[in-house]
Amino acid sequence: MISRSELNVLMDREPKFDDIMISFRAIAKQPKGINKELKQVIAIARKFNEEVIRPGSLALDRKMHETPDHLAWDYVREANKRGFYTMFIPKMFGGEGYSLTAVAYFLEELSSSCGAVANIVGVHYLGIVMMFSSWNLKICNRICADVIKGQKNGEPCLLSLAMTEPDAGTDSQNVEFMDTGSLACHAQKVKGGYKVTGNKIFISMGHMSTWHIVHAYTDLKRGSDNTVMLAVKKGTQGFSFGKKEKKMGQKACPASELIFKDCVIPDENVCFSKEDMAKLKRRVKDTNAQVFAYIWAASRTSVGAFGVGTARAAFEEALDYATKTMIDGQRLVDHEWCQSLLGDMYKNVLLSRLAYTEAGYANGLHGIWMVMNVKPMYLMNRYLPKALISWFMKPFLNLGLTTTVFRKICFDMQSDDAVNRVDGWGSFAKVVGTDAGIQNARLAMEIMGHAGVRQDRRVEKILRDSKLFQIYEGTNEINRLNLFKRLVAKALPQTEVFSETNP
Amino acid sequence: MNTMTESAHKEIKMIEKAAREFSKKVLAPEREENDAFPFGPFFNTALEKAYGLDFFHLNLPENLGGMGQSIRALCRVMDQICREDSSLGGIIFTNTLSQSILLETGSESRLQSLAEKATGVFDFIVAFPSLTNPHDLTDLPKAQVKNDVFTLSGHLDYLVLGGMAKQAIIPACIDGNKEYSLFLVNLDSPDVVRSEPIMSHGLHACPAVDVTFSFAEGFLLGEAGKGDGYFTKASETMQLAASAMLLGVMKGSWDEAMSYCGSRVQGGRKLKDWSTMQMKLADMVIQVHVADMLVERACQAVENQEKDWQNLVKAAAFHIQSAATQLVTEGIQALGGVGYMKDFGQEKRFRDAGQIQTMLGHTHIKKLRFIKQFLN
Repeated sequence: MISRSELNVLMDREPKFDDIMISFRAIAKQPKGINKELKQVIAIARKFNEEVIRPGSLALDRKMHETPDHLAWDYVREANKRGFYTMFIPKMFGGEGYSLTAVAYFLEELSSSCGAVANIVGVHYLGIVMMFSSWNLKICNRICADVIKGQKNGEPCLLSLAMTEPDAGTDSQNVEFMDTGSLACHAQKVKGGYKVTGNKIFISMGHMSTWHIVHAYTDLKRGSDNTVMLAVKKGTQGFSFGKKEKKMGQKACPASELIFKDCVIPDENVCFSKEDMAKLKRRVKDTNAQVFAYIWAASRTSVGAFGVGTARAAFEEALDYATKTMIDGQRLVDHEWCQSLLGDMYKNVLLSRLAYTEAGYANGLHGIWMVMNVKPMYLMNRYLPKALISWFMKPFLNLGLTTTVFRKICFDMQSDDAVNRVDGWGSFAKVVGTDAGIQNARLAMEIMGHAGVRQDRRVEKILRDSKLFQIYEGTNEINRLNLFKRLVAKALPQTEVFSETNP
Repeated sequence: MNTMTESAHKEIKMIEKAAREFSKKVLAPEREENDAFPFGPFFNTALEKAYGLDFFHLNLPENLGGMGQSIRALCRVMDQICREDSSLGGIIFTNTLSQSILLETGSESRLQSLAEKATGVFDFIVAFPSLTNPHDLTDLPKAQVKNDVFTLSGHLDYLVLGGMAKQAIIPACIDGNKEYSLFLVNLDSPDVVRSEPIMSHGLHACPAVDVTFSFAEGFLLGEAGKGDGYFTKASETMQLAASAMLLGVMKGSWDEAMSYCGSRVQGGRKLKDWSTMQMKLADMVIQVHVADMLVERACQAVENQEKDWQNLVKAAAFHIQSAATQLVTEGIQALGGVGYMKDFGQEKRFRDAGQIQTMLGHTHIKKLRFIKQFLN
């Protein structure tokens, strides 16, 4: 009924089939074992919820109000003991090798009990993703080995992602804004490394992380093509921690200031430099944009999952309240208006979960874990013993050539369409999930009335925790624009987004 | 037509000015510190100053030691105060509600006695569960009568000001009575056990406690079984005061958003120069103006005792509650990361708005009751 050439032409019209039918395309290629893995990680998270988070999160929140400088090391140690910080590290790097596709579901589950504790676990993978976005496999291998060691010896070794600066929030997170003059964290090339001076702020889990993956700039006026990604270890001379922010919610996850004063980072800890980027096919600025796309596509999908977790938590608390509370002689849940509100809340949960699921598929096809989702790689990672893979792969991972090959695959062979797709879907998942969190938390507060304002009834904490998800990893306003840029404006060649020419 | 005289207008303007200055000079500088309660000190000094400025006497009749002002004066004071710290607004609100209930129940002599004996604010204020409509509570304390003396037993959640006041108005059901009655109870009685201050979403320094009564003596206010009627009458105007609190929160949030967006630069421009932010700010200021008009119109309706004034007050309240919660969410968003931090005022306004909207009962139940009169 339709010729092949006609089919191709029609499918290439906006909205393009490849842009919108992510799950259909992904499922055909997805290794079967991922289904089983999903169930396992969700079960692991639920067990942690029951045994650790649920019994203690309200008391922890209260303690954080009382003692703002408290650091929840007991939760970090428990998560470390259970292997949460190595779970999603591929076996070739010594981790447990659970598929990265499963991260978002794991984080939704944790977030459904407490957004703060979910961050205590999840933020580590933000740092992991940022590090891997450089595809500097030697450094990845070395730092992952530290994380594994930390899990074995009971001294957690976490990673953080450090981009935001006092005068550069959005500006540090979008290549288009980096050259507007607000960046301040300077990296001066010196013999054997870089000397870094400047501050980073709002760094999640900063005070509790061992390794900090930091963006600094060799030219502060032209940060977009002068970014250097560095791995900075706690205790490095010239590096110290500053204040912990006084947040409204997610209090157990500190937002830290990192202070660099003539801090020398050796070459062996340089993840990605301008010179490295210049070896790839795109302009340095565009390769830098690809790095951001890799990071944001993965992290924003996870933040969307955090949002779904809080949306679900709010729904569950409201439902529980409605089944136990009498109004005008009947249970609240038997009032039709309440059923309608609860239905709306559940709809929000379902829709937003579909959003991050779709974005997860996009990451699997085009994003940072696309390599690990290729069937041979997946099967090797999943079924071969860790020791064997590690023994086989280690020599290759430490070779510069391996890094070069992976960079060619992951940067040069990633098409512009793929970059747009994965980054756009990440923004979509983030906006939808986090907005759902706030909507449901508000509805739950309304349904619960005066009971809802009490900290010991959980819902007001869910609302406080949810609000931050709309702000970090790029505000939802920035993410809406990014969604437009990546999924819509690409078909409008004269249209610029994030531009000084935009009225 | 507004029947208020010119001199009455002038007096209200002076009161409003006093509230504005108090808000800026006393409340604003200590806002973060005061909000730390119950994990930080309580703002005794600010409270006593507000008492000294007669903010707790606004609606009390002159013959009972008050200022005899209309609801408009209370609304103006609430607007100004809640721009900076709604906790004080919550304290004034709850106390004024208690005073209104005492007046509705014909308990002028008790009010007079309170006013005469009070040496300071803590003697003067009267606690009440102002976040609820007692009619909606299923487990009210029980009241028994023996030799004309009532004693209360049972539990009451979230008694606002219960931790700092010496007396409270408590709804309780007399044995054999389906409808609740209102009682004045001495909270210092050994038969009354008060919990530690409850940790709440907002209005941290407007503390509430859970209370347990074990045959605690209570003085019946008004007639037995008529508690709902008295509460309803008192809350009809007090709903407007709650709306004015939200209006103040909205104005404070808008002011801070405008100030920040006028100075913060990202992408090479001030935030206010990006059209997405302009849209956001436009939505905020539109809602501020609408809320302002609604409160003003509702005040006029009350003062002129217009035929439908209760419905105007309720409709205004519903709209403002919805608008306020949306606005304060955007108020944080306009500031980005710093909007979430306690160093700035937006996160407190976000929480306070969420708490204020629960005042005087469950929003959805109030809406259903509101529509029933039109359906019948």
